[in-house]
Amino acid sequence: MQVINKDTLKIIPVDLFKIPKATFLTEFRYQSIRLGETVYSLRLPIPTLAELNVLINQLKANQKAYLSHLKVAEIIDWIDQAIQCWTNPKCPQRQLAIKLLPVITGYNAETIKLEIKRFIRIFRKKELLRFVDNELNQPEILDDFHPQKSGSLTKAFGPQTIFNVFSGNIPGLQIWPLIMGTLVKAASLGKTSMAEPLLPVLFVQTLAQINPRLADCMAILPWKGGTQSLESVAATQTGATIVYGSDKAVGSIQPLVPSSKPFLHYGYKISFSMIGREALTPEHYPQTIKRAVEDIAVYDQQSCLSTQAIFIERGGSISPLAAAKLIAAELANYQLKRPRAVLTNPEAAAINRTRNQYQLRSLNDSTIQVLASRQNTDWTVVYHAKAGFTNSPLNRFVHIFQIDQLENVPRYLNDYQPYLQSCGMAVDPNRLYSLADRLGEIGIDRICSLGEMTRARPGWHHDGHFNLLDLLHFVDVEPSMEAYAERLDPDVE
Amino acid sequence: MLLKNKIALVTGASRGIGATIAKRFAAEGAIVAVNFLKNQKKANDIVQSIIDNNGQAFPVQADVRNPKAVHQMIATIQDNFNGLDIVVNNALNHYTFNPKTRQTAESIKWQNYQSQFDGSVQGAFNVCHEAIPMMSDQSSGRIINMASNLIAFPLIPYHDYITSKTALVGFTRSLAAEVGALGIQVNAIAPGLTYPTDSSVETQNDVRESIIRMTPTKRLTIPDDVAGSAIFLASNLSNNITGQCLYVDGGLVMR
Repeated sequence: MQVINKDTLKIIPVDLFKIPKATFLTEFRYQSIRLGETVYSLRLPIPTLAELNVLINQLKANQKAYLSHLKVAEIIDWIDQAIQCWTNPKCPQRQLAIKLLPVITGYNAETIKLEIKRFIRIFRKKELLRFVDNELNQPEILDDFHPQKSGSLTKAFGPQTIFNVFSGNIPGLQIWPLIMGTLVKAASLGKTSMAEPLLPVLFVQTLAQINPRLADCMAILPWKGGTQSLESVAATQTGATIVYGSDKAVGSIQPLVPSSKPFLHYGYKISFSMIGREALTPEHYPQTIKRAVEDIAVYDQQSCLSTQAIFIERGGSISPLAAAKLIAAELANYQLKRPRAVLTNPEAAAINRTRNQYQLRSLNDSTIQVLASRQNTDWTVVYHAKAGFTNSPLNRFVHIFQIDQLENVPRYLNDYQPYLQSCGMAVDPNRLYSLADRLGEIGIDRICSLGEMTRARPGWHHDGHFNLLDLLHFVDVEPSMEAYAERLDPDVE
Repeated sequence: MLLKNKIALVTGASRGIGATIAKRFAAEGAIVAVNFLKNQKKANDIVQSIIDNNGQAFPVQADVRNPKAVHQMIATIQDNFNGLDIVVNNALNHYTFNPKTRQTAESIKWQNYQSQFDGSVQGAFNVCHEAIPMMSDQSSGRIINMASNLIAFPLIPYHDYITSKTALVGFTRSLAAEVGALGIQVNAIAPGLTYPTDSSVETQNDVRESIIRMTPTKRLTIPDDVAGSAIFLASNLSNNITGQCLYVDGGLVMR
């Protein structure tokens, strides 16, 4: 038993919310995290309806008074300054995130440290410029009326406020919609998940040090998902709603959003990988295996971008079965290097149930083989010598299907079509585009290299759609009006 | 149990590889002296965790670079247990393995080399000098010196560290050649990059991954891997093996 000496304990308060100046939250509950001799006392608000209303009104006022007057280029500059802070290992908010997130989320500390480092870099100025450019031919139309090829002059408006419902599966992912909203000059009300309520708060804190007025156009706070009274106010009083999360989360918010307002949602998705025989040569196969495992192990498949099944083509220097065995061995190594999060009982039960199901089947069906960690649920590979497709119970559980030709993959995906999202590939350039074409046809919306599946680029058409464009409305001043106005100029002759 | 009732001294045992060896020795039945330089609290924690697991251990402070302190430490062990069967020379002068901030051939000073010699070679010398008379009294003893696989493959040239660890292997062989006649076996273990430990946390991910790529087992070494080999060399399983250097690095070095 460890003896706690209260005199040497250091207590650091951490607020798990960030709201604009002049707004208040009055009721709180507390949780604490102890790391060595330091106790972090986490303060979580219990917002009331009245407080939420005041908060939204203040966000609207702040947006009108400040954010609506900023030019897109200026917004990008401010965000870039905050990002530059976060790229510095000494950034106090980043340091706090790296300390507390492993405890809050259960993910391996080193994974979090590395992934946050990588993730934050995709929001540098150059990347944000690319992103805005990718979505809008003339990003300046967010600032002023600009001539169009049609002859009109057009300006784009974002909603004044956005209600963001963040998911908590991947640390930091919340920054993405937060920045997106700010780029279209919308104030953000962000509801965080209890699974990860910290990182967006810390990011807005950094922004507040650089530009407090911009940070005052953001409010980040958690409440229990499904609290209909609060969510209904948030959805009706703001100009648009964006939901990240499970189908259940999406389904509970959707009815609350007035049909006249934009509603964007990113729900349950399945991603998979394809390994061509050209990636299984003696020269390439060791790296191919490593890359395949990276897509399974980073964040324990909790991201919709993570692979759940791998198609491995026959005809390489190593057989699909040998590749499956190498993937299993690499998963065992990964467990030593960066252990998987500790599971809840239902999560572990889901793995054991699925393992048992396939172990039973393998007794009578020689095409199925289960390779799994002993005495625990650390990792599981189910090898199928017959091509097919199925999803995984996650947490480092992957199905591997042997296939004669990768070109045949689409025929196994029909049943899962509405859920398909990313495909990580290891193929040569001659096949890439014809394969991408077939996958695009059945609904896959992102193709990336094997090993990079969990790291989407900012310009990606998330779930197949534009990001900013869906939030905007456009005002066209037609040529007739332009000409007519000229005639009404008293000085014109 | 492979080390039942053996008296073992592990230097630098408050953390990292040393701490793991101490725990595993105790689990094999040894009575372990957990030597530390500064970190009394960590050493106490290791001892406590050994006792919690029904093992036997006690903390003992000594700067192995200081002959008087080592004499005092060994005398304490002699007084309490009337013998010493196993010594693991694991302590070294604090060293941070950071490829980005290491000293280059141009910037390094002799003082850097000297301080590594003091920690590794002189430290091992001081301990052996005191331990060998006790071991020879009982006509048996095992000495294990902690080297590094960098001596065979200086992937990142930590000049001072590698030079002193190479000297330690020379020390091991020479000593083995003489004290074998007294029933004492002297061997070295050369671990690969052992992760995570306090000294290795600053070796960046990219470097670690490049080592993993070249390593047959496709992983880094963990403290438990090294402890397993230490148990082997400390126990009767390694009878008649002396003057050897055992590489525990996933096959990165083969010789």
